[in-house]
Formats: sequence, structure tokens, C-alpha cells
Amino acid sequence: MSIDNLNNEKYEQGFNTDVEADSLPPGLDEDTIRQISAIKEEPQWLLDFRLKAYKKWLAMDEPDWSELDYTPIDYQALSYYSAPKTRTKDDIPPEILETFEKLGVPLHERDALLGIEKDPNVIPTVAVDVVFDSVSIATTFQTELKKHGIIFCSISEAVQHHPDLVKENLGKVIPYSDNYFATLNSAVFTDGTFCYIPKGVRCPMELNTYFRINARNTGQFERTLIIADEGSYVSYLEGCTAPAYDENTLHAACVELILHDDAEIKYSTVQNWYPGDENGVGGVYNFVTKRAKCEGKNSKVSWTQVETGSAVTWKYPSCILKGEGSVGEFFSVAVTKGKQQADTGTKMIHLGKNTKSTVISKGISFGDSTNTYRGAVKVNPGAHNARNYTKCDSLMLQDSRALTIPYVTSENNSAMIEHEASAGKISDEQLYYLQSRGMDEDDAMNLIVNGFCKDVFQKLPLEFAAEANKLLSVTLEGAVG
Amino acid sequence: MLKLKNWAIENVIHGIDVDFDAGRTYVVMGANGVGKSTLLHSIMGKPGLEVSGSAEFLDVEISDMEVNERADMGMFIGFQAPTSIPGLSNFQFIKQVKELSVTDIKDNLTQFKDLSSKMKLPEDWDKRNLNTDASGGEKKKNELIQMLMMDTKLAMLDEPDSGLDVDGIKTLTEQLNNWRTKDNTLIVVTHYDKLIEGLNPDAIFVLKKDHIVGGDKSLADKIFAEGFDSV
Repeated sequence: MSIDNLNNEKYEQGFNTDVEADSLPPGLDEDTIRQISAIKEEPQWLLDFRLKAYKKWLAMDEPDWSELDYTPIDYQALSYYSAPKTRTKDDIPPEILETFEKLGVPLHERDALLGIEKDPNVIPTVAVDVVFDSVSIATTFQTELKKHGIIFCSISEAVQHHPDLVKENLGKVIPYSDNYFATLNSAVFTDGTFCYIPKGVRCPMELNTYFRINARNTGQFERTLIIADEGSYVSYLEGCTAPAYDENTLHAACVELILHDDAEIKYSTVQNWYPGDENGVGGVYNFVTKRAKCEGKNSKVSWTQVETGSAVTWKYPSCILKGEGSVGEFFSVAVTKGKQQADTGTKMIHLGKNTKSTVISKGISFGDSTNTYRGAVKVNPGAHNARNYTKCDSLMLQDSRALTIPYVTSENNSAMIEHEASAGKISDEQLYYLQSRGMDEDDAMNLIVNGFCKDVFQKLPLEFAAEANKLLSVTLEGAVG
Repeated sequence: MLKLKNWAIENVIHGIDVDFDAGRTYVVMGANGVGKSTLLHSIMGKPGLEVSGSAEFLDVEISDMEVNERADMGMFIGFQAPTSIPGLSNFQFIKQVKELSVTDIKDNLTQFKDLSSKMKLPEDWDKRNLNTDASGGEKKKNELIQMLMMDTKLAMLDEPDSGLDVDGIKTLTEQLNNWRTKDNTLIVVTHYDKLIEGLNPDAIFVLKKDHIVGGDKSLADKIFAEGFDSV
């Protein structure tokens, strides 16, 4: 067994791991769902939730309102469950450890995965949950987190050990009937991260989930649920990669965040799923529903995303601002090149009084790609003094396309909504200027793009900002010329 | 330092021969539109200019080299209208260009702040974005800072005085004169008699369509008195 490099120069994470797996055969019917539920030894209520969603899904049509153009997905050709054979916590296959080493998951996390004891006086800064295809294979620093009453584990574990918390909150923000992909996810989700921060607790480290698609023709349907109780704070990061396969891989995740009074969640994503080759062959279809509900007063949620991957991205991390004075933020950098298509943005739903939202979106497109910002701001009648500020900037190069599609509705006269948008190109003059100071074309491009993204990068947690920077420079390499 | 042989730029300049030597300062003059800026940019290697002939910099033929390779050899061009790069701060830029290691940052920042205060630039100049929300004069001062902080052997400045106030021109003249050594070369395009006086150049070149008229400082005096057609 070894790690095969699939010789994809431009996508460093494009290798696959040869590890024995238990997979369900391709196909989706009620029995598939019963099998998934049985493998996970789930309680009846969860199976019922899944089956209800499945029935709903059968009656739904795949949405076609986006700017995306892709080969129809054959849902019967996918496998809905794949897991490495040996998967007890103490017995992680070395190939998988090697995989994460290769992917550069930070050292202390690898050590923790390997079970290397660390100086107990050194408090780690990041805890990580690792999801490999359909299962979570390891979660680090659970003991340390437990001391603070924080639950950080896979959602499958949470179903077993904290069933009440899961039952009460699952599907509360994204109902099983929400949309085609979320409904499919509700029926077949396999794993993901669960996180609960108790009252008044400030999570002492960054919580990180790393999603890795490995198996061929397998859909990844993870489900993440984060609950921030009164006055708590957590910064959560997720990273994603996948091998470079010729076939398209489907990823349809759901992320639900629930915030009680005065709680704050910072949710950052670096999404680098395989984008396909330059001719648009292969790549991940990323259809994701992410939503936060600011249930409590003065709660605050920030979505920060750096999106460089996937052949197709369909994703609108949203905020339901219900609690009085709650705040929603969305900071996004989306880079597309080659034949990539991204249709991404946010929805800010103002329900409560004095709710505030800020949206800063930076779209960068190269080659023959399409980069769409689609954003909704909705102010309901009860949302007195709601405020929204939206800024969408696009940077285009070559034959790429950038679109900005805002949907703004206000049903309250005291609301203030601002929308700014700009579109520009990297000029030859800028490149020449930087080159005349000794930078090569790639570095020059990188500096310009980094400058363009500065106000979003500043929002990323420090450790992540470096990663985002690196990711961006790898993505931009050879983008011109 | 720099030798141009039969150097031509399509639709601009038809074959000129000229040498710029180490340890010398040259002022380039010429009527509007004759191609002074274009000449400097052609030497720097700006994409899109159709050039022919030979250009040797430090005894190396550079006409096929990339812009950044010429810069790496010590060539510097001071832009007449430097372009704006939003989100990139002035000092961050110096840091990137010089690929400063952590240990070098402090000294470089001190030098940067020292220069910017000498040039009466705002206190937070290091943090301001490169050529964004800056006045014409401020941009010119920033070009000068870059030139002084980089390992420049050949400086080609395109109207470094335009937009500068009286004090600015005085500082510019001082800084350039300080910078000059027997090993480097300064080429300045200017129409400004005070700057020419202050720099006391070794030669004046007047650019014409198909040739260059060279002379000492008296050539400039003649132009100021009688115009470009007189030479």
C-alpha cells in the first residue's frame, strides 16, 4: 500500500490513498439509508428523520436557477458510504496518517493523531477532527476540551453520547425539507463534526475539521452542528481536499450553527476541493448549505471563506438574525480558474431589532471560469433599525466572467441597506510596475491579488491566514501567460 | 554601464547610438512626445514595445531579458505616473521586493522611516497603500525611496520633479547627489532648470526622432533660451 501521486502538478493534494475500505455499492434507495443508519447503530428517531427527508427528496427537483452549467449528477451511480476498514481511534492506518502529513495538517495535530505525548504544560492552539470519506477517524484534544465542558467530536459519536443535544438541534436551522441538496444530505449524511460550547465558556483553542474525500465515485455528505450556548465563544476552521479523479465527485454538506444570547462563532473555511483539469474533466461538485441562526440577543456569527477549489461551487453561508442586536458577517474570497464555476454568496435575514450584517466578497477569476456572487439581504417587518453593508469586488483576467447578483428586500422603513460593487481587471501597467522592481510575473500577480483580498484575509485566524496565503499563491501560479 | 546600439522603438525612435557610463549623471531632454519616457521604458523592457538594435547593461545583452531580470541586475525606473496597487502597503512592498528576512526588517524600516520623514511624507507612510490615495508629489517621493532602498546601479527617472513642491525638489536633488558614486549611473528626464542646476550633470542629451544631440550643461541653457529647434 502506498500513496500514489497522480501527477497533477497544479493540484498538490490530488493524490489518493490506497487503503482498504468498507463501501456500500452504488445506488440510493430506502434500503441504503437503513444500511447507513444500521452501520452507525443509530436510534430510531434519526432513521425516521432520514427516511422523512428521503421521501421529500424524491418529490423534489434539482435546482436550476444558478449560473452553473454541469453534467447532470447520476445519483444512482454514487456510493453513499465509504470508510477505511480499520478505524478504531488507536488503529489509524498509517497510509491515512501519511496522507495528512502530506497535506500538511499542522504538526501538533499530527502528533496528537499519532498519540505522541506533549508537554502537559503547553496548551495546544488547535484541536482537529479528521473526516476521511464518510467517517471521522480522529478527534484530538478531546480531554483538554472536556475540562472546559466543551464537546468536540464526530456527529456519529454525538448521536451515541449526547443524543438529546443532537435530537433537539439537528435540522433546527436547516429543516430536512430545506432544499434539494440539504434534503439529500439529511437522508444520507454519514459523518461530520459536532461541537457544543457551554454557557460562558470561551473555547481555549481553534477547533478544526479537516475533510478529505478519498474514495472514487463516493458522495461525501457531512453534517456539522455547532451550538454556542449563552455568552460562549468559539473559532472553528474547516479545510477540504480531494484526489484528482477524472470523474466528478459530489459533496453535499450541511452546516448548522446555533447561537444563544451573547454567543459568538467565527467559522472559517479554506475550501480546496479538486477543481478538475484545465479541460474541465473531473473535479468536485460542491453543493453546500451552511446556515447560522442567531437565536439569542447580541449574538454574533462570522463566516469567512477562502474558496479556490471545486469544479462547481454552489454555496451561500447564511445568517438568520433573530435575536435583538445580533450580528452576521460574511467575508469571502473566491478564486476560479480554468473551467471552474462558482456561484456563491450569502443570505442575511434580518428578523430582530437592531440587527446588523456586513458582507465583503472578493471574486477573482481567470481563464474560462465563471465567478458569481449571489447575495440576498432581507429585512422583515419586525427588524427595526436593521443595518446591512455589502461590498462586492471582482477582479477578472483573460476570458473569465464575473457576475454580481444582489437580491435586496426591505419591509421595514427604518432599515439601512448599502450595496457597493466594483469590477476590474489586473492591468498590464500594475504587473509591469511590480516586475520593474524585480518580481517575476507570478509573484507580481500574487501581490496584486493579495492586496485585493486584504480586507478579507485580515479576518482569518492567524494560523489560517498563512495557509490561505499559500493556497492562493499555489492557485495563481501560472495563471497568467 | 549601458550601451545602446542602433536602438529603435517602432513608430517612436529610429536607431540611436548612445553610451551611459558608470559614475556619470545624464539629463535627457526633448520636445513633448518625442519619446523620452518610451526610451526609458524600452530599456527597462516594458512589454508591448517593438524594439530593435542592441542594449548592453553591465556588458550583458539585455534586449531579450524579462523586466524583472533587468531589475535584478540593478536597473531601476522611476515612473512619471506610478500605478496604484490597492491593499499593498508601501513598506510591505519594499519587504516583498527585497525579500527581507526577519532580521533585516527592522533596519530597513528604520531607513524607510528616516527617508520618508526627510521627504516630509506623513508619519504612517509605511502603512499607506502603494500609490493609492497619494498625491502626485507623494508618489514621486515614494519612487525615490524605492530607488534609494534597492540595490540600484542604473537609475532612470522620468520627470522625478513633476508634482514636487520647492522643498521636495531640494530634498530630491540632495538625495540624488548623495546617492551618486563612481559606480552607478543616473539618467534623469526633466524639463526643470533648477533640478539640472542642482544635479550638475556630466552630459545633456537631447532626444530627436533619429538621433541624439549630446553636449554639456550649456546645451540645456541654449534650449531654455532658444527652444528645442535650436539644437
